[in-house]
Amino acid sequence: MTIVHHPPEHLLAAFAAGTLDPGEHLLVAVHASGCAGCRRFVRAVEDLGGAALESAEPAPMSAGAFEAVMASIDGAATPNTVAAGPAPGHILDDRLPAILRNYQIGARRRVAPGVSLHPIRLPDGGGSRAFLLRSDPGTRMLEHSHTGTELTCVLKGSFSHDGGRFGPGDFDFGDGTVDHQPVVGDGEPCLCVVAMTGDLRLNGFLGRLISPFIRL
Amino acid sequence: MTAGSQAIRLSAWTRASRAVFRPARPRPTRDDDERSLAKVEWAHLIGRVAAERDAAAFRTLFEHFAPRIKGFLLRTGTRDDQAEEIAQETMAAVWRKAELFDPATSGAAAWIFTIARNLRIDAARRAARSVQVDHEAEQDYLADPAESPESSLSRLEETSRVAAALQRLSRQQSDVIRLSFIEERPHAEIAEQLGIPLGTVKSRIRLAMSRLRNLLDQPT
Repeated sequence: MTIVHHPPEHLLAAFAAGTLDPGEHLLVAVHASGCAGCRRFVRAVEDLGGAALESAEPAPMSAGAFEAVMASIDGAATPNTVAAGPAPGHILDDRLPAILRNYQIGARRRVAPGVSLHPIRLPDGGGSRAFLLRSDPGTRMLEHSHTGTELTCVLKGSFSHDGGRFGPGDFDFGDGTVDHQPVVGDGEPCLCVVAMTGDLRLNGFLGRLISPFIRL
Repeated sequence: MTAGSQAIRLSAWTRASRAVFRPARPRPTRDDDERSLAKVEWAHLIGRVAAERDAAAFRTLFEHFAPRIKGFLLRTGTRDDQAEEIAQETMAAVWRKAELFDPATSGAAAWIFTIARNLRIDAARRAARSVQVDHEAEQDYLADPAESPESSLSRLEETSRVAAALQRLSRQQSDVIRLSFIEERPHAEIAEQLGIPLGTVKSRIRLAMSRLRNLLDQPT
């Protein structure tokens, strides 16, 4: 599988810096987990992070900080975060990237004929939402633009629009500057991870009829 | 000059090994030799923590990195108490994960930066008291590019490719990426610091990143 479409560099750099919102972070992580070239870029920016740390103006730690750290080590405290467990077996397709096991995936919901989604529970912060989107072969999506941004990473199958053909591993970035009508490839269903901020702006006559009823 | 007043010149390695057993002193301005010595020193100290649970080595690491982590976080807008907490948690993680650090493929500062970064993300999410994602665990899926079927390079080749690319980037280009993305400085500040016109900052950032990507994608 040759990946042709990658996240824009500014997303990769922000990912390395840890400043993406949860939806963007998930999408870049999913793509990067399967793309050595992008992981290499992230690594280079992390090296710049190391340089930034070295040249940071030191701020004095509180009195007894070192002792507090030694005490916490001896206590061998487990991290306080509640890691998301694996999704129930009947939802989790064993060909999902392993990195998604870190996230809670919700029940399937039909969106349109041949199109369904599983919401992915994201930590709060940023107003983005994410989901697994499953579309039958040959599905022609409604022509749309975006009021915010839409990030897509293909897991299985493919879709095409005037930005090109997107197969497994490919990353699509859409915002208000695009107005596209994705078509799912023939032969197999298309499974993608999607993160969105804002809403779809559905264009065309049919889109404007339907848009009050669609909320992805 | 008498023998008594003659300065004793310590070899670089003697200085390094003494630093392990002595609390860190304020350091003079570094030149390149001292900087690369420091890199070897930090990696060496982490190695001692990993192999021998050496508390003195860990204290030296702590005294150097904890205030810098805290200072870095304060500079990027983290609250004082949270910056203190994350700096402490980072150093605790350095102790716990010391044997995972591989000096051949990572600089100590970059490694410690990524730990602090992940903890800062966790702290930001925790504040919302919502679903949590373990960002440290996520790192397992974002392993060294060499450890993947799609890369044909060894770990050392991957590391030297990254290092070579960063070296070939101009100083101003690596600065502009660091100042904008890592240090989150506003464009006006970047323009002033680098002595460039404000209106050119955005395009210089884009150009620097594009150049970095090209350098990384090329075989060395």
